[in-house]
Amino acid sequence: MSATIPQLAAPPVKRIPASLDVDRTRRLRRRRLASDLLVIAFWASGAVAASLYLASGGMADWTSLGGVITGLGILAGLIGSDFVLVMLVLAARVPALDATIGHDRAMALHRRLGKPALYLLLGHGLLLLVGYALTAQLDLVSQFVQLWELPDMPLAFLSIALFVAVVVTSLVAVRRRFPYEFWYVIHLLSYVAVLTALPHQLSVGSVLADGTVQRGYWIGLYLVAGATILVFRVLEPLIQSARHGMRVERIEWIAPDVASLHLSGRRLDRLGARGGQYFFWRFWSARTWWHAHPISLSAEPTRSRARVTVRVLGAGTGRVTSVAPGTRVTFSGPFGLFTDAARTSPRLAVVAAGIGVTPVRALLESGDLAPGEATILLRGSTDDALFLADEVRDLALRRGAHFYLSTGPRGRSGGWLSQSDRNRGVTLRSAFPDLASSDLYICGPQDWTDAVLLEAHAAGVPDDRIHVERFDW
Amino acid sequence: MRTRAILGSALAAFGLLAIGWEIGAAAGAGPATTATTSSGGTTDSGSSSPPTTSGSGSGSGTASGGSSTTATTPTTTDGTYTGGVARTRFGDVQVQVTISGGQISDVTALHLTDAESRSVQISNRAAPILRQEVLDAQSTNVQMVGGATYTSDGYLSSLQSALDQAGWPS
Repeated sequence: MSATIPQLAAPPVKRIPASLDVDRTRRLRRRRLASDLLVIAFWASGAVAASLYLASGGMADWTSLGGVITGLGILAGLIGSDFVLVMLVLAARVPALDATIGHDRAMALHRRLGKPALYLLLGHGLLLLVGYALTAQLDLVSQFVQLWELPDMPLAFLSIALFVAVVVTSLVAVRRRFPYEFWYVIHLLSYVAVLTALPHQLSVGSVLADGTVQRGYWIGLYLVAGATILVFRVLEPLIQSARHGMRVERIEWIAPDVASLHLSGRRLDRLGARGGQYFFWRFWSARTWWHAHPISLSAEPTRSRARVTVRVLGAGTGRVTSVAPGTRVTFSGPFGLFTDAARTSPRLAVVAAGIGVTPVRALLESGDLAPGEATILLRGSTDDALFLADEVRDLALRRGAHFYLSTGPRGRSGGWLSQSDRNRGVTLRSAFPDLASSDLYICGPQDWTDAVLLEAHAAGVPDDRIHVERFDW
Repeated sequence: MRTRAILGSALAAFGLLAIGWEIGAAAGAGPATTATTSSGGTTDSGSSSPPTTSGSGSGSGTASGGSSTTATTPTTTDGTYTGGVARTRFGDVQVQVTISGGQISDVTALHLTDAESRSVQISNRAAPILRQEVLDAQSTNVQMVGGATYTSDGYLSSLQSALDQAGWPS
């Protein structure tokens, strides 16, 4: 059995200077530099878009109100397009990006850019409409008709309509109302939106006229974004999958709604995954081939076998867990920074809930842990909701890690522990006395994760020591 | 770490915008903006449709000599000169200039952008503004008309080719 979680808060510990080995410190510093450079590159790309407009003498048109509004409209379009291309690259699952900021953080950034990009593109259309109307002394309706008659403009209007649909269906409030599959199909239309926007930029857009530097720059941007998608979302997964030739071997139900998929294939020990990472899996059955699922490996792969564990959360995961043995599997990955490579501190504090246990298990299995270095706390509302707990306990014992369980309902007052543990006075600090010198790994459902984060922030754990793996794609 | 990213971004963005602004300002100062889009078109059509130089003055013959003649005879000759055709994405632009008493006395648009209805409208609005600006400034060194970049480009470059024929000092 596991030990009882200590309930007495440890005396406040001064932040111990990280006594990490030189390699890990250097890796960390390099990763932070790379991540800062990425941020700089992002803002610089937006500035270049505006700068090229200025360089082309765009300001010469800013002599009347209509001209100023037109100019602002052009700028909004250029910067909005730049954001859209950045979003494409962020979503392209580029391994270098994943190793720097993590795919989940890249996707969080992708989501945060969605609305600003849409506002810029809508602003582009509206400002140009008003600007042209003022200049031509026309009312908005006849101006709109004239815009519509310009070459490639109907396509551009289609594009903005698609962008609106893509962003609206991605709003949290809207997205919750529809199944994932609906959102997914609409989201695929963003490729169409990008492509239908392109012709009017090159034909009507005066800034990207033939033979200008801007035209070359923008065509280059589109090619880079397109190539990134093609290489990392199509070619690379196909090549990898062909090399490993994976198939579903059998499906093992370990709880009423949780199944482990045992996969067979060639040289699976060379998948290159560190413990805690995940892959996007695509199961080639008639009902599941059309979208990929992000699922962590729940065990370290052997030469010919790998295992993933899935909780049935919706129709998609339901279909995945009912594919027939022998179904072909393709994948892309590995992804995720939920590995010991992301560690910045000498100790490791891990809390996981529900199906979030799977990467934790793999982390324990393949991570580079010294005895006594790690403390694991698993949380489930019932014993049945503690998946793989026995396996994790075994591993913890072997790796010399502390292991705690917190089972039982969370109660009405919230929090991330069971009601009974909280009543006993268990806190993050009491469970992890070395919190001040630890990296905190959190893995579980969104609202539970938020509750842990709240307490971690209150306890003064700095952001760069918190590693979150979200299970809410 | 965050500070480094923010400072770096601000610096990079500001620097890039400043460079763009500088280049734009430098290009906007002279009629150089017209060079990229319309210089090719002007030379093309200049040779295919020989400039008509029916003028009231007597020295109109110099016009056929082209730019080399102009360079050696910098004095302006009275007369009416037709500029080359400037090709733009929205149609051709060609203007005729009248020089009398050493002054630009009139500019007539022979052809304006007409590829789309919007272009016709833009051109019709821009042409009188450009004409007035040119008459005031007595050169092609004038403001482009807002929202009528193509028309302005073409108008001024065609006008420049006409003025070159007249031996107008540039």
